[in-house]
Amino acid sequence: MSEKISRRDFLKLASVGAATTAVLTGCGPASRYVQREPYSKMPEYTYNGLSTYYATTCRECAAGCGIIVRTMQGRALKVEENPNHPVNRGKTCARGQVALEGLYNPNRVRGPIQHTRGEALYNAEFENAEPNLTWDEAIQVVADALVSPERTAFLMGTASDHLFDLVSDLAADTGAPAPIRFSAGSLFDGQATLSRVAEDLFGQPALPFFDIGNSDLVLSFGANFLETWLSPVAYNRAYAQMRRGNPDRRGYFIQFEPRMSQTAAKADEWVPIQPGTEGQVALVIGRLVAEAKGGDMPLAFANVDLEAITSELGIDREILENIAQHVVDAESPIAIPGGAVLGQSNGLQTAQAVMALNALSNNFGKAGGVLLSPLAPNQDAYHRPASAQEMADLIRRMNSGDVTKLLIHGVNPIFELPKSLGFAEALANVGTVISFATFADETAVAADYVFPDRHGLESWGYQQVATGTSQSALSGSQPVVTGVYQRDSSEILYNARSTADILISAAKLAGETAAQALPYNDEVEYIQSKLTNLVGQADGSFTAPEINSFSAHFQQNGGWWRNTADLEAPAAVDVLGSDLQVQAAEFAGEGEFFFLPFVSPTLGEAGANKPWLQELADPTTTVMWNTWVEINPETAHELEIEDDDVIRIVSEAGTVEASVYKYPGIRPDTIAMPFGQGHTAYGIYAQGRGVNPADLIGEHFNEAGDLVFAGMKVNIEKTGKKRELARMEGKLGVYGFIEEK
Amino acid sequence: MIRNLFGWLNQPMGRIAVLIAALSLFSLAAFGIFYTQQSPEQPIEFTHQLHVNLGVQCLYCHPGALRGPSPGLPTLTKCWGCHQQIAKTDTSPKLAVLKDFVLKNKEIAWVPVSQVPDFVHFTHRPHIAAGLNCERCHGDMSKVEIAQNPQVMNMGWCLNCHRERAANDPEKLTKLTDCGTCHY
Amino acid sequence: MATELGMPGTNQVEEGPVGVWGMVIDQDLCTGCQACVAACSMENNVAVVGEEDAGYGRYMHWIRIERLWESTEYPKVKMTPFQPMLCQHCHNAPCEPVCPVYASVHSLSQDLNLQVYNRCVGTRYCGNNCPYQVRSFNWLDYQDERIHPELVTLHNHMNPDVTVRRRGVMEKCTFCIQRIHKAEDKAKSEGREIEDGEFTTACAAACPANAITFGRLDDPESEINQRAEANQSRAYHALEEIRTMPRITYLKGGV
Repeated sequence: MSEKISRRDFLKLASVGAATTAVLTGCGPASRYVQREPYSKMPEYTYNGLSTYYATTCRECAAGCGIIVRTMQGRALKVEENPNHPVNRGKTCARGQVALEGLYNPNRVRGPIQHTRGEALYNAEFENAEPNLTWDEAIQVVADALVSPERTAFLMGTASDHLFDLVSDLAADTGAPAPIRFSAGSLFDGQATLSRVAEDLFGQPALPFFDIGNSDLVLSFGANFLETWLSPVAYNRAYAQMRRGNPDRRGYFIQFEPRMSQTAAKADEWVPIQPGTEGQVALVIGRLVAEAKGGDMPLAFANVDLEAITSELGIDREILENIAQHVVDAESPIAIPGGAVLGQSNGLQTAQAVMALNALSNNFGKAGGVLLSPLAPNQDAYHRPASAQEMADLIRRMNSGDVTKLLIHGVNPIFELPKSLGFAEALANVGTVISFATFADETAVAADYVFPDRHGLESWGYQQVATGTSQSALSGSQPVVTGVYQRDSSEILYNARSTADILISAAKLAGETAAQALPYNDEVEYIQSKLTNLVGQADGSFTAPEINSFSAHFQQNGGWWRNTADLEAPAAVDVLGSDLQVQAAEFAGEGEFFFLPFVSPTLGEAGANKPWLQELADPTTTVMWNTWVEINPETAHELEIEDDDVIRIVSEAGTVEASVYKYPGIRPDTIAMPFGQGHTAYGIYAQGRGVNPADLIGEHFNEAGDLVFAGMKVNIEKTGKKRELARMEGKLGVYGFIEEK
Repeated sequence: MIRNLFGWLNQPMGRIAVLIAALSLFSLAAFGIFYTQQSPEQPIEFTHQLHVNLGVQCLYCHPGALRGPSPGLPTLTKCWGCHQQIAKTDTSPKLAVLKDFVLKNKEIAWVPVSQVPDFVHFTHRPHIAAGLNCERCHGDMSKVEIAQNPQVMNMGWCLNCHRERAANDPEKLTKLTDCGTCHY
Repeated sequence: MATELGMPGTNQVEEGPVGVWGMVIDQDLCTGCQACVAACSMENNVAVVGEEDAGYGRYMHWIRIERLWESTEYPKVKMTPFQPMLCQHCHNAPCEPVCPVYASVHSLSQDLNLQVYNRCVGTRYCGNNCPYQVRSFNWLDYQDERIHPELVTLHNHMNPDVTVRRRGVMEKCTFCIQRIHKAEDKAKSEGREIEDGEFTTACAAACPANAITFGRLDDPESEINQRAEANQSRAYHALEEIRTMPRITYLKGGV
């Protein structure tokens, strides 16, 4: 325009335009653009607009919390809580809440696929691979794998569930090796060490139950019980009870950990001792407590050289004396070994030393003390997940040709096991690899066949609760939706099938022995066969006269559990009377810094594919969507490293690069990194994001077979690159602008 | 630019051009308004008039109105319950469409007519419980062939009735005119 | 105290209206686990913005866990107790008088601070004024399936009781007003009053440590009033001194 418009003319023109727009918009029934498809056959209990609730079990980790899922018109809308369930008593954790983003994930496996190893299962345009087999063909493939199964290996997730029982039955009757359960969760929890110390002391390879809720003094040696350790919801509730459950006292909590984890942040005292020295510190405290109490000095602490240890460890003796005094004054003190403490070369000895502290406080089998988690109602014997060493044995067998067929369900070993164990390479020596993964994860990408299992929320089953409650509990699962459907059509989107059903059908085609091992019509019949012993048992959450009504109640209630506490009061070997030795921890690598990987409290081991878990702020650093490495600010200053600088961390086993987060709560000689990111598949939200600290972990085991995942010394190299972290606290982080010093 | 425009308008051709433009705009608008106010086409030409006059109650096909937010649309089994026993089902061409849906077990994609925008959370139950008839808002269905709205369901229309019903009760009036009662 | 507020250090006690819905959040129990954040987001269809926008501070969290540092001098490092921060539903809300189109209004029937999405034009004055910084703005169409086709399957789990917001609209915690309405409707249909504890907000329902409690402030027997009474020495309101008269009572942690 060469001439200016006057204000008056502009308003005239503008108002005409506005009036026209107003007339044409909002005119018609919006109905023109919407279609509704009611049910063709509506379930009788359904009203449009009113929700239906189903009780089931959360399968996001192995804890086995009970949930009630709100559904409307065939879609699951919200995970809510089952208030009667003994593990979580009506509460859930973040991972449980976001479970629906797994059910409705854009990158699930769409159906049975015959696959070329290494080929991606989805592309950048969010298209998932087309299924190219029918389910009948898939069942035939599995049947072929079950014929002469002496060289067939079953690898499954940590949770002890009906599928594990089914595969155990199948393996036992057909001569296949017994199935192995494993996950990064059991690795980072130190479950093998915990079970072993329980076995040594109490004669049962059970997970100990630490009754924090009734304790008034908690000494935690590295156990991140408020984050992901063992049974987070149960322990969070127990923590709250310890603090404020008793109006007359507030429990006191001390955490020994090289970094200030979310759990340590809630402690009254955070004692940052050097990694690997926790056992010696426990012995020192034991000695001081025994001295303060007077009487005979137990053999366990008799040879503790207080001066030598405190000076060697560089700890102020006064701090330990105060702690010892707390123990003496407390009514029901408890000491807990866990997490990275167990992931050291001396992990088992440390656990024994910590248990000796418990013995000294005489809390075995008492409220507020250490007890044995009860067996689940339909379990005969404790069975623990595999240790990392047992996984290494499996890998050895794979490499030597002893495993020709590998069936993997519920675990993603290529990501969850450190690369140094060589699982991915060992796969090359296995003839047939069948993955039952629901999601397109790294192990599915490396498999010959992917026969997707239904998501936990679409499945029948039960889970035997391993720990987290004093009641013997069997948590029940039922499908809360019939499936995930395409938009605008009644075609199913994810044509998954229950792995138990596949195995039952395949067994019928795999010869006489296999068919007789699983003489069931389907999964539900199998599940019922494992519940019949509970029918008519008294002292349970409900009774029923026969199996069908029992099953109905089982589903409605979300499981069956004993009403009264069923904790074993362990008869302990006299740990105080034995000469406990805690050797100095050995560290792999020649580096300058101790390296501490920890499971991300928001992602857990398998949450990276769910966008809301990625967007949750880490509780201590508030970082979202990425991996970071925590460095003490003094150390960072010496090395001239700033926030968001990308540094390379080099261990004896590998290298990773990550952005720096200057974190006040960590020892100057230690760096830490969360585990959970660094996927190379597993969906668009997980892939290509962050790094996997497991790449730095070498193949070393402690006496219980647990991986020494926290026993590395690493070096740091500057790369000169910067990559900003998304922090909720603000771009400036804790330390703000760079100061010239 | 404005001066040029006015200069142009002073010529006869200019004025005719403007007239034609205005007329086309007007007819476009009129057509638009006419078209958008029509009832949408439904997959089956279901006539409410016939069924209501036969004595079928609203709540028979739309039972949810009594209990919750949405009255619901009838399922195939609801229609087939009667129609499988009616001889006309086999002869009428309109009912052949229904029969086809039932035999294929395909849902009928009804186009909802009484719709409010998604930022309005309307729930039927309290309205029925307050004693309102379905006809009050949806019109006399015994006179309506293909479903349509008797009036535009906009916020002013809702508020008129809300104010009227709560005229003597200040607490109720507060609740019924509160933004958060419907918009959340 | 949940019912009275006074200026610290003065003898003035201002009796404000008691209000209806309130919360008590016990910081000694909060473990920072983010279960409340996840529960709120899933209940209220809160959008995920991705790493870049989250880094810019555009995350949409309606509730967040705040932590600060009391001391960063190693080894005597002390974190402040975790504090869940959400809309305080102030009775004297700074966000209410500034909205030019009355989208941020105080509900007289529910005594909540409302956000009416269809009125909002996106001035962001309310977000600017909120001293707790709990209001989030939809800078982009984070939930639009045309822009983000990968959301099509994920949107199956969206809650139909909560409006999905488009760009240009402010949003914030509503004390799960959809649950309030549902419970009130149910109670009314059964001809009774709502019982305390009959329903609760998504965040309070999920919290494993029972740190968050929700209920009626005007009922002296309600759990939140009992909790506040039992812990008077620890009770405070966030940013009390600016007299926004919030409905959430925090209980100090670590003591």
